[in-house]
Amino acid sequence: MLPRSRSLAVLGVEPAGAYTLLRLRRDGIDAGVPGQFFMLAADPAPADAYLPRPISAAWADEEELAFLLDIRGPGTRTLAAARAVNVLGPLGHGFDIAPGPALLVGGGIGAAILPWLVRLLPGAGVLLGFRTEAHAVCAGFVDPDATVVIEPELVTEPLARLLPTFEGTVYACGPDGMLGAVAALAAEHGVACQLAMEAAMACGFGACYGCAVKIDGRWKRLCVEGPVVEASRAVA
Amino acid sequence: MPSLETTFCGVRLESPFVNGSGTLDALVSGTLGVAAFVTKTVTLHPREGNPPPRIAETPSGMVNSIGLANPGLERFAEDDLPRLAELGVPIIASVGGWSPDEYATAVARVGAHPAVVAVELNVSCPNVESGCISIGTDPGETRALVERCRDETDVPVLAKLSPSVTEIEAIATAAAEGGADGLVLINTLRGIAIDRTTLRPLLGGGGGGLSGPAIKPVALHAVYHARAATGLPIVGMGGVAGAADASEFLAAGATLVGIGTALFGDPGVVERTSAELLADLERRGANGPGELVAVAHPPTSTSSRA
Repeated sequence: MLPRSRSLAVLGVEPAGAYTLLRLRRDGIDAGVPGQFFMLAADPAPADAYLPRPISAAWADEEELAFLLDIRGPGTRTLAAARAVNVLGPLGHGFDIAPGPALLVGGGIGAAILPWLVRLLPGAGVLLGFRTEAHAVCAGFVDPDATVVIEPELVTEPLARLLPTFEGTVYACGPDGMLGAVAALAAEHGVACQLAMEAAMACGFGACYGCAVKIDGRWKRLCVEGPVVEASRAVA
Repeated sequence: MPSLETTFCGVRLESPFVNGSGTLDALVSGTLGVAAFVTKTVTLHPREGNPPPRIAETPSGMVNSIGLANPGLERFAEDDLPRLAELGVPIIASVGGWSPDEYATAVARVGAHPAVVAVELNVSCPNVESGCISIGTDPGETRALVERCRDETDVPVLAKLSPSVTEIEAIATAAAEGGADGLVLINTLRGIAIDRTTLRPLLGGGGGGLSGPAIKPVALHAVYHARAATGLPIVGMGGVAGAADASEFLAAGATLVGIGTALFGDPGVVERTSAELLADLERRGANGPGELVAVAHPPTSTSSRA
């Protein structure tokens, strides 16, 4: 039922503006689909980062699995300094790619999971929002043709201009407030919308009950129900 | 060649390893190598659990405030138990409540299922406002609860105790006097995590329960003294992440060893620990884990009832 945990060699760690790109040797593991996630821990794990971190891949190809990290604490810091990373996954439900036009919306580190989706959805519109120019550097990994906005402008502003004439599916990843606003706009215009959500997780496979998110109006485990959820099911 | 086979309260198991209640959902991930599956604590009525954040990492451990999220007794017995039984692993059903009658109703219902080999009374959950832990911190209430539940089922009744008490011996003895067949030690320690930026409690439930390697010496102390005080068979847990930890719990007086928080970061931990313990027993010239049980005690301090 559960994939085996594997230790993968670090191929490279590179700055990507305010974020950090971590590239692992894929070594034949199943990469899953965009929006699924992996539990990552430095191998060996230090005592102050005892638990793995749930992170979705930025992309996967034959040779590598790549992750964009927002280094916030001991877990991400030790991942960026590791020579090998323990990887459990792919876990959860990823994006369900629908036929027809696609609009990809990313906010902050939520943009990290879009490069892979862009590869699978050539021609999709891409809207990205960031706090600062330094954070926006990672837009280059997602799509050189993306529409990029910097705060105080919000990514929902260009989205609101596009949606009245858009017929297709919106795929979004970002902070809760942004996802809530994207979901509300999509509902207003009757557009299908999938949200890749985030929650702290200790395990990633339903054991810890830590990743509670309101889905269908109740606290549910995001690792089991998501992390990609139909916008109509989520109260973000 | 040694074997890991273990008998606990008259129940024969393939190894001494079980999961801690609430640290594994076998219906999602499979049983990951445990010899018996301990369910998440079920209560009479469904519980959604506490608002997030529910978990926070702390040095060598974590604090959780899940709040006994569970589908309620009816749905658990009708939907979950039959599916768990199909996994082919004996089940230890954990029950909680806010009154002895609630516990007794749950014990009777889950204890009647043929796949359930024992029932655990959770009198030690730190993440609900009353009930549970308030029972497990009072010897009189603990004794009365076990007495009330003991005759509701034919399977062994275990009391899962909290380390957040002054004298674990007093609570363990009360459980034994009430007729408990065994003890489960320890539940999480009461803890709190403060957000370093906002300087407010980090978890949605305010406080929580501390688990992981940080609590192992506390758990070993509780197992040691509960065993010395009662001689009852014990499921020992608290920070177990390998065979060395498991051997320490056996020596302190545990017959079974629970693995919980370590499962989160390493779903292969039970299989690895089982293989390690087997090799360890062979190296010691022991035939089974039973030969290590309570060896840390002076020869005369323990009268085993296992």
